[in-house]
Amino acid sequence: MAVQLTVNNQVQNVDADPSTPLLWVLRDHLGMTGTKFGCGLAQCGACTVHIDGIATRSCQVPLEAVAGANITTIEGLAVNSDHVLQKLWVEMNVPQCGYCQTGVLMAAAALLKQVPKPTDQEIDLHVSNICRCGTYPRIRAAIHKAAEMMSA
Amino acid sequence: MGNIEALDRRQFLVTTAVVGGGFSLGLTFGTGEANASLEAPWGKTPAAPEFTPWLSIAADDTITVRVATPEIGNGVMTQAAMTIAEELGCDWTKVRCEFAPPARNLAENGVYAKAGAGLAYFSGRSTVEDRLQLGLQVGASARERLKTAAAQQWKIPVSGVEVANSVLTHKATGRTLTFGQVAAKAAGVKLAQEPTPKPQEEWTLLGKKSVGKINNAAIVNGTAVYGMDVILPGMLYAALKQAPVHGGKLKSYDASKVEKMPGVVAVVVVDPEAPLAELKIPFGMANSAAQHGIAVVAEHYWQAVKALEALPVEWDSGPGGQWKTTSQVYDAARKALDKPGSKVDKEAGDIASLDRQPKIVEATYLTPYSEHAFIEPLNGTALVTADGVEVWHPSQHSENGLWVAAHEAGVAPEKVKFNQTYVGGAFGRRVFGNDLRMVVAVAKKVPGRPVHVIWSREETTRQGRYRHMIAARFKAGLDADGKPQAFLARSASTPGLSGAGLLNTPFAGGQIKNVRYESEMLPLHIMTGPYRGPSYNSYAFMMETFIDECAHACGADPLAYRLKLLEGWDDEGWAKTLKEVAAKAEWGKKLPKGMGQGIAIANWGGNGKPKTGTTVAIVALAEVTTQGALKVHQIDVAFDTGRIVNQDAVHTELVGGTIFGLNMALNEELTIKDGRIVEGNYDTYPTLKIGDIPKINIHFGALTGHDRFAEVGEPPVGPVGPAIGNAIFKATGQRIRQMPFRKLDLAWA
Repeated sequence: MAVQLTVNNQVQNVDADPSTPLLWVLRDHLGMTGTKFGCGLAQCGACTVHIDGIATRSCQVPLEAVAGANITTIEGLAVNSDHVLQKLWVEMNVPQCGYCQTGVLMAAAALLKQVPKPTDQEIDLHVSNICRCGTYPRIRAAIHKAAEMMSA
Repeated sequence: MGNIEALDRRQFLVTTAVVGGGFSLGLTFGTGEANASLEAPWGKTPAAPEFTPWLSIAADDTITVRVATPEIGNGVMTQAAMTIAEELGCDWTKVRCEFAPPARNLAENGVYAKAGAGLAYFSGRSTVEDRLQLGLQVGASARERLKTAAAQQWKIPVSGVEVANSVLTHKATGRTLTFGQVAAKAAGVKLAQEPTPKPQEEWTLLGKKSVGKINNAAIVNGTAVYGMDVILPGMLYAALKQAPVHGGKLKSYDASKVEKMPGVVAVVVVDPEAPLAELKIPFGMANSAAQHGIAVVAEHYWQAVKALEALPVEWDSGPGGQWKTTSQVYDAARKALDKPGSKVDKEAGDIASLDRQPKIVEATYLTPYSEHAFIEPLNGTALVTADGVEVWHPSQHSENGLWVAAHEAGVAPEKVKFNQTYVGGAFGRRVFGNDLRMVVAVAKKVPGRPVHVIWSREETTRQGRYRHMIAARFKAGLDADGKPQAFLARSASTPGLSGAGLLNTPFAGGQIKNVRYESEMLPLHIMTGPYRGPSYNSYAFMMETFIDECAHACGADPLAYRLKLLEGWDDEGWAKTLKEVAAKAEWGKKLPKGMGQGIAIANWGGNGKPKTGTTVAIVALAEVTTQGALKVHQIDVAFDTGRIVNQDAVHTELVGGTIFGLNMALNEELTIKDGRIVEGNYDTYPTLKIGDIPKINIHFGALTGHDRFAEVGEPPVGPVGPAIGNAIFKATGQRIRQMPFRKLDLAWA
């Protein structure tokens, strides 16, 4: 029995085991691999997407729970991938291996929507993703710069 | 230099053409749209005139640079392109990279690297001397051909052609041609002599400009294809479980319980004892050995996961089961230090003089097994057919991977196509290729369809090739002046241990005349392998804590003591990094009770020789509450690589390495229960998050300018831990001799 959901403004009907995590619905059933598998336990945040606008770790959300929901993934974060955070990530050379960064970007984008000018503490709280390469100082700097640019 | 020979075969001979001082590159960097084509980084080049196997230029001006080194986040891809761009005179936004196919290397007789050259060309970094020289030559030779082709078309002397930004200009008339417009002709040009790349002093890009990663745009829009992201027509997924006690065996399983579950295609057993066809391999293959395991192959990944969970499986622990607890392992390692090690790794001078010195310092240290814990779990995809095998893999050594695939699939290496994907972190774990062997071992049982084998996070963690557990005891005899005159080191670990970080310092490696280093290997089953700064990541901690203990024993300031030990050492970089970091961190400043500064210095890659490798000195500022809560406030880093080619890349790598070393010191320890690794995921194997990171300052003022471009990825992991440990000692009086620090009781009153 297919479950209907909206991903990046496109209606999708997914016929899969209803316990399948949204992460694997996106990757395996819809072929959208920008959302990454890292831990399967909501620890690392590599699988972060927006569900009805809320940053959520998609590895812990079964397909049956997102029937009718509106999902945004990194592929749909911005037209032409030109979200101010994506542009700053390139400009400030944030990524190292890059694997975790799409999840970090989704967490940071949701934060800026909710808190246009986040403090360091708010960044710590909302961008709790794991980056094993250690790009954290650049992530923080890029979020602050984005907040400045968006409020200017 | 095998690669220059490769150039020779393409008639890249020697040359005299002059590269002008007015030569301008006019590069632009880091725009979002640039290089977005770097999605699947393997062999997708459209047919384009090829200048060498490393470089082709298409009619639409696209420049393709082939890179033999996998990109693991250290920027090798960018560096390889940047080196060629230094000489080529191209528009950076037209440059794309792909990984040099190891199959081509094999087919064209070592066109990228001589087979069996170990890590020389299909792994490692981009700034080693011969790679730099090669890239510069490739760029210069192509540029001269482009100029010659333009000059022929305009019927003018070559000297009348200027190059900038992928455009060739006839100075006298202002006529222009783009690289793409003459590429086909240029690639066929035979020069009387190959040009000589300009001297370093005339570089306008390398060492002059910071260049962001060429694949950044593909990373941030989610299109960069890592191993995990490989999707192929008809592809199946497999979930894998290996013997939970390393070296154990599969005892029994009941496939009938899961075979009828939705989507299940096969239950596959991996038996490393099954014979494989003989293959003469130019690489050591022992480290790529398969483990006993079982996998469920299904149409969808989640189906495979659920079926594997439901599959009844029993394991034989094997000899590893005798190690019931972590403390049993540590006790055995420490006990081994009580008698001389069975192997003497180094002996110099008269060690018997040690006990005749007026002051003796002795201490025992231990560092635990640690896991790489990169975010992309182990995985790989293989398609095995009657014709051969094709693999897509996030490898750290793609040529090794080709041979592993051939060996496991039982085909000739010429029948293997290896597609190198992006790599979601590696840190040494993905060098061996044992992961790829498991992938092929599963896929060959389901021939005809590609199979993507994925380790769960828990499986990745528990089936690692870990940082060595090392116990060591150091003993030094100090003379009346406080200087160590003799040094005895004993260590106990498992095979694969090296003396890096212990003997590769001026202290134990030359400045102290009477030295003995002996080691003992324990019959431990836990599998180990390279982990960012192998052995060095432990020994730098032990050695630099010990030096601090010696300084304390004679009442000396830790900085002044180290500088005294370095007197006469033929590499000013050591003292310079210490002085630089001490000045920048305000070493010795007055601090409230419970706070302290600690200093440490180490060198990676130098093998104990002066003016080689990278020297890193760190000052850490730490605070410990009376209840024992530790906070690291600030880490200052100074370093000497000789010279650098991309300042921002060096900066980010040093910060990353510092954070890696910080996590290693504070958090990381794998524990053992009944022979099994206990920790499975990030909840039990904690990793620092953004809010845990202290202020990190990277200082460039200690660069000596010595003629080398040493690496930056591994060096910082060594001195972070001992700098913090020494800071804790300063703050509390408690000496730190074991990692991880979070498990130590640091309370003081």
